Amino acid sequence: MGRSRVHLWFIGPAIILMMGLLILPVFVAAVLSFTDYNLGNPSFNWIGVENYDRLVSRSTYKKMFTASLTYVLLVVPISVALGLGAALLIASLRIGGELYKAVFFLPVMATLLAMAIVWEFALHPIVGVVNDILRSGCDVGWLHALLSGSWLGGDPLQSWYGHACAEDFPLWLGDKNYALGTIAFIGIWQGFGFNMVLYLAGLTSVPRELYQAAHMDGADSAWERFRLVTWPMLGPTNVFVVTISSIRSFQVFDTVEALTRGGPSKSTYVMVYAMFEKGVKQNLLGIGSAITIVFLGFVLILTLIQVYFVNRRVHYA
Amino acid sequence: MMARTNWLGEFLKHSVLLAGAIVVLLPFYLMLSYSLKSPAEIESNTGGFVGSQEIMTDRRCIKAGKPAEECDMRPIVYNYTAAFSEAPLVRYMLNGVFVTVSIFVIQVLVALPCAYALSKLKFWGRDVVFGLVIFCLLIPVHAIALPLYIMLAKVGLTNTYAALIIPWTISVFGIFLMRQFFMTVPDDLIDAARMDGMSEFAIVWRVMLPTAIPALLAFGIFSVVAHWNDYYWPRVVITGNRDLMTPPLGLRMFKSDLDGNEYGPMMAATTVIVLPLVIIFLLAQRRFIEGITMTGMK
Amino acid sequence: MAGIVLRQVTKTYGTLRVLNGIDLDIADGEYLTLVGPSGCGKSTTLRIIAGLESQTTGDVEIDGRVVNEVRPSRRDLAMVFQSYALYPHLTVRQNLVTPLQLRDMNFWQRIPLLGYLAPGRRAKMSKIEDDVRKAAETLKIEPLLHRKPGQLSGGQRQRVALGRAMVRNPAAFLMDEPLSNLDAALRVHMRAELSELHRELGATFVYVTHDQAEALTMSDRMAVMMDGDILQLGPPDEVYEDPRDIRVAEFIGSPKMNILPGRGDSAGRITALGVAVEEALAVPSEGPLSVGFRPEHLHIQPADNGACFSGRLTYKENLGSDVFLHLAVEGIEGKAVIRAKPHEADFADVGEDVWFTGEVGMARVFGADGKRVALAEPQLMRKTS
Repeated sequence: MGRSRVHLWFIGPAIILMMGLLILPVFVAAVLSFTDYNLGNPSFNWIGVENYDRLVSRSTYKKMFTASLTYVLLVVPISVALGLGAALLIASLRIGGELYKAVFFLPVMATLLAMAIVWEFALHPIVGVVNDILRSGCDVGWLHALLSGSWLGGDPLQSWYGHACAEDFPLWLGDKNYALGTIAFIGIWQGFGFNMVLYLAGLTSVPRELYQAAHMDGADSAWERFRLVTWPMLGPTNVFVVTISSIRSFQVFDTVEALTRGGPSKSTYVMVYAMFEKGVKQNLLGIGSAITIVFLGFVLILTLIQVYFVNRRVHYA
Repeated sequence: MMARTNWLGEFLKHSVLLAGAIVVLLPFYLMLSYSLKSPAEIESNTGGFVGSQEIMTDRRCIKAGKPAEECDMRPIVYNYTAAFSEAPLVRYMLNGVFVTVSIFVIQVLVALPCAYALSKLKFWGRDVVFGLVIFCLLIPVHAIALPLYIMLAKVGLTNTYAALIIPWTISVFGIFLMRQFFMTVPDDLIDAARMDGMSEFAIVWRVMLPTAIPALLAFGIFSVVAHWNDYYWPRVVITGNRDLMTPPLGLRMFKSDLDGNEYGPMMAATTVIVLPLVIIFLLAQRRFIEGITMTGMK
Repeated sequence: MAGIVLRQVTKTYGTLRVLNGIDLDIADGEYLTLVGPSGCGKSTTLRIIAGLESQTTGDVEIDGRVVNEVRPSRRDLAMVFQSYALYPHLTVRQNLVTPLQLRDMNFWQRIPLLGYLAPGRRAKMSKIEDDVRKAAETLKIEPLLHRKPGQLSGGQRQRVALGRAMVRNPAAFLMDEPLSNLDAALRVHMRAELSELHRELGATFVYVTHDQAEALTMSDRMAVMMDGDILQLGPPDEVYEDPRDIRVAEFIGSPKMNILPGRGDSAGRITALGVAVEEALAVPSEGPLSVGFRPEHLHIQPADNGACFSGRLTYKENLGSDVFLHLAVEGIEGKAVIRAKPHEADFADVGEDVWFTGEVGMARVFGADGKRVALAEPQLMRKTS
């Protein structure tokens, strides 16, 4: 009977593609990570764990891990907090919520690479608009006093702003102390709107009667109601938003490749960029594969943490 | 909960959100503004949003030996004509459309029957296949770009449209999303179709596909946005062949080709590439946000 | 314990007016039901009493005190919600403790962990635990105290929701369709339990429902609401026997009252479906009328005695003790329904024409405006006829 075999036609293509395009590459990467393989060279040597050894011992790769983790630790908390804050504010507005929602979501839709180039212009140390605005504040007495802290009696030169007014404002992407933070800023700018819509969806799924019950129970302040109802009810959303933001920010590439190429002095040398540079540009496929495997390990850990939190939660039927 | 409005609170909320909105919109404003202004105005940050639009002379045009009067133009005209003449922008855009549409169509062709089988057919090994789908969800395609690149290079497919499309033909996420959606379709509907004499193929395309339109639309938005904007994968597999470049990659090439002060044409090109999605988004805002949320939340 | 008074309360949303001046005086310890179809304003009224919504104009008084500007939590009321609104992440015990903590403990004592160090917390906490235990005992939910709401059945959640209201020992209980999420059997059972609980606590209950049966069975008094007005307020018997408005007559009672189109004439005589009715108008006037008979006040007749209505029997609904006869009657929309004992309807078969009469003195007559029309005293009636 036809029906007993027809499913093979339905699942066959998907299985073949999953195996060939997702599972097989993982194995290829795993195998190549123990070799010194490169394209154009017919033979290769097994070199054991040498690639992994390099990853943990060479300072370049230490910088890579530092850059990636710092980036994630900057972007995830801030973009999640901004997303939640924006969602809470927008949900409580009487008018105009839709407008803010559209505006904050705009960067999610826009081509990141293109917007990164615009940010690069905006952050240009000399002609860029950002430093221009910051500089213009130096000449306005009260603003300078406020931002430099001298209104509190501090020495303006001791503060970041006062010091920058006297010397000059940072080079941003060209300064190794600022580059990663600047890249992270663009990441936050681009990503928090996504978190915001996830939180807004989470908020609409909180039953209104729970808030009313909290009112009746005596949760009089907005903070009490947030603690008693909103925050616990957003539990699943929190887990999801944090995981997806982490995985997304681990994958940061566009901004780094277009704006800093990992520099200055490897301060923005994040994992996916390292993978690209070693593997594709320098044809060092062994070390590139090793980075791939470590990267997959990170993603797996993040996902397992998510699964753990999701399963621990008892859902409200 | 009391219906009385707290006007002070409302004012403070709007102030905070407005400040955020200004930062969010700043690059969009700059992009549009720079694409309209002359190089001098951009460098000195003068001229407001549109600039003075004084006639300027196109130096490249002079170099090309054309008469001077043909080379005098308004900055806005200069910027946009330069963008289109200096880079094959139209070609990039067509590539982008071709690649994103191909990816989406193939993803649906592969995912829909599979999702149907996983949700509505009973066969030996079904749970194993679904387990495989779940497992594959853990693998971000960007993470395995390197081995995929090696494999494509080995079969000589780098620098082809195929290389841009093949890795994305399987969307385990699409299968998962469709399966979850099909689980909510009553079995009776399928049994009724079988009683009417439809084959399993006909059921997939004539019964399941129409019911899945909302989910497909959401998935389509997700897929198109992701691949139109994708820069990483094209950067890996397309090296040098401009005829194959997608918009972000083309823009990147444009940027490295230009010398320092060609901000105007650069921003004009950026505007042209960013604008289509932004306009569609603004027109169908609600659908986009719902679609992204729906696919985002699984 | 306290009485609740509403004075000329109105509510408008933009241009939409949902309450047109509600006056209501709920006595201390009374079980009052607000009943009406959905959208009639009953829930809005309850939420205005609770303080969850504020009225557009008018006053709410609780225990003689105007509470228009008082927060919900300070009105000393408790509410049971339709969805129960239990905090899903807290255990049953924590759900019961929360309102007491919020009421009795200060900010510092409520801080998680750190609060244990705040002075006076221990004494208050043991008092709270006592109250919770007592409420759990009354409702027989002690074994459930350590479960979360997600692990409870509908009936158990219902009890926990009642418990959360009870622990605060409020002046009045507000209930918003609390039984509508239960299955039919449990709903009937909970009706009895709620009535019992009301007697036991002696507190004021304000109960909102769209189910007229709940209103009839449980309340001391019921207020029938439609389109933002209270059409009639009174004990269930009175509302059933003596509806002041045709809408009330049709809404209360199941199967609903049969409304026969009729006329009055200048002599005060009444006809329904062209057949003369025994009753007469107190103030004779000519014009269309509606004559209502409850199903139990229509009687099937074996033969036409000249004063009978007739209709075709389309369906016999046998309930064992009673039979509902559904008749298609010319001149009325829908079906007329007669309630009869099984033996009384033996002779009638589905598909046949049958005759029936209205019981003397049981006609409820309504004017063209839907209001009840006064009938002449029976002695007068005999004279005129």
